[in-house]
Amino acid sequence: MDHPPPIRAENLCKTYQTRQRKGLFKSQKSTVEALQNVDLEVKTGEIFGLLGPNGAGKTTLIKILNTLLLPTSGEAWVNGYHVLREENKVRASTGCMLMGERGLYWKLTGRENLEYFGALYHLNPVQRKQRSNEIITLLNLGELADRSVETYSSGQKMKLAFGKALVNDAPLLVLDEPTNTLDVPSASELRTIVRNLNHQGKTVIYTTHIMSEAETLCDRVAIIDRGQLLALGTVSELKTSLQQDQVTHFEGVISAQAESSLRKIPEVLQTSRSSQDGKALLTVVSAAGQSNLPRLIETLTGQGAILQKITTQEPTLEDVFVAKTGRTLAQDTSIK
Amino acid sequence: MNTQANISAMLASTRMRLQFLSRYPGQLVMDLVLPIVLAAMPIFLGSAGGASNAEAVFEANTGTSNYVAYLLIGSAVLNLVTNAFWHMAYWLRREQELGTLETLYQAPTPRIWIAGGTAIYSAVRSVSTAILAYGIGCWIMHVDPFTGEVGLALIFVLVGLIPLYSLTLLFGAVILKVKEANALVSLMQWVVIFLMGVYYPITIFPPLVKLLSLLFPPTWMTNGVRAALLGVGYFFGTWYKDLAVLWIFMLITPWLGWWVFTRVENNVRRNEGMGQY
Repeated sequence: MDHPPPIRAENLCKTYQTRQRKGLFKSQKSTVEALQNVDLEVKTGEIFGLLGPNGAGKTTLIKILNTLLLPTSGEAWVNGYHVLREENKVRASTGCMLMGERGLYWKLTGRENLEYFGALYHLNPVQRKQRSNEIITLLNLGELADRSVETYSSGQKMKLAFGKALVNDAPLLVLDEPTNTLDVPSASELRTIVRNLNHQGKTVIYTTHIMSEAETLCDRVAIIDRGQLLALGTVSELKTSLQQDQVTHFEGVISAQAESSLRKIPEVLQTSRSSQDGKALLTVVSAAGQSNLPRLIETLTGQGAILQKITTQEPTLEDVFVAKTGRTLAQDTSIK
Repeated sequence: MNTQANISAMLASTRMRLQFLSRYPGQLVMDLVLPIVLAAMPIFLGSAGGASNAEAVFEANTGTSNYVAYLLIGSAVLNLVTNAFWHMAYWLRREQELGTLETLYQAPTPRIWIAGGTAIYSAVRSVSTAILAYGIGCWIMHVDPFTGEVGLALIFVLVGLIPLYSLTLLFGAVILKVKEANALVSLMQWVVIFLMGVYYPITIFPPLVKLLSLLFPPTWMTNGVRAALLGVGYFFGTWYKDLAVLWIFMLITPWLGWWVFTRVENNVRRNEGMGQY
């Protein structure tokens, strides 16, 4: 029998009422459309990135999938369980890090936190201790484990919050911006742990507004903005889907005839020639991105060109985001 | 459903609250001192103003001349009741403010078990400190604390705890929605003091207020304890009839409390979510 996908969402919508303050005692009700007709399916064993600026709707989506919010309309299943009708099964089959360091009891020690959450995830006392020790070792929290959480640094608290998500050893991990407040080495260490857990078979939903993180870690990425899912695919699919002009530099022995053949290709928008150290440098601007590159090379070499160096300016995920949303992520989040 | 695992989670919640208390042990001193101080003020006022026939006047109105123990019982039960509201209200509010409420909602243990764990913690803390405060108060005021039927008094307390903590769920629902605990608990505290007859018998109330008072389970708890220990009259004449009323409260209020709480909870989840505070 086929396993159900870890996440399936159909036509998911969420609107809620909010109040806008209009002075000391006045306020006005307004409606926020946090999610609009989101369809989504996450595959077993992948790291799935949800990319979007603050307020895009990614946390709302995650919260609905974790049964914390009720959708206004639409349906969703987590590990085959319906988010409205089988809430407790959804919760039991998911390891979740949502609130970061705010999801912990600061007056308790790290170990006490892990053991308490172990109990809430129905581990017996022996399993709780064992699992807590495993997590403490995995996250290298040994020296901190018996200190109250309030004495931890922000990064250490984030690590413990991540550890809390591992307590029930669930097949699905939902991590909402887990590297927030972590320093560079700690963030890198955490990503390595996530990757290892993924290699051990866990499916990971990873929300972030850090492009490089999504690019290096995620198998597939969904771009979400203003409650709408704007794009979904692997990082390279998203990049190649960009119908933007691509600039390619060809260096070597390139005849005028080869350049002229190149111009006959409809996607080639512009060519320019210069010379550098006695070699020809041909700069080609073409449409349809990298998919066109093999044809360009074939045409040039077919006309006797000897190519010594090819450099392209590859689009980044940031370019994809700009193309889909019309603005940069940095503008929305102030994260450079 | 995995009841054993839920019970284990409930007891873990109780243990966790006790761990919290161990970080703030000064709270226990407050629990012990407050009922004695609250009783001492009317006791001294009564002694000063009642003159030589104070005990006789008091007995004529209440059924016991032991006004010291009467007031100490009233303030001990009051402390138990207000603690229940403070502990449950503050638990919910603090979880909401700290961000841990959402974390609790992510776990598969149903909320009723987690709330139950907090209620057990609160009950253990409040009952033990109320009994201790009553004992210390009686010792300070030179009154015998163990007159009457101590076992029956304890039964009234224990049976009364269930409707009491069920009422805190109703109260919790309000806090979940309006996101305010301080003002609400403070207001509730004075309503409780007024209605349950901490310093006076409710027989002196006008009929409508008396009816309201009788709809409040702690009124029956307080009077049951006083009747068992001091021999003041039961509302229905015999202990088992009064206890039966508490049993009826015990059967109705948990369902009512949970029904209201889950409705409000769903309303919150349908809109802004549990995390907003």
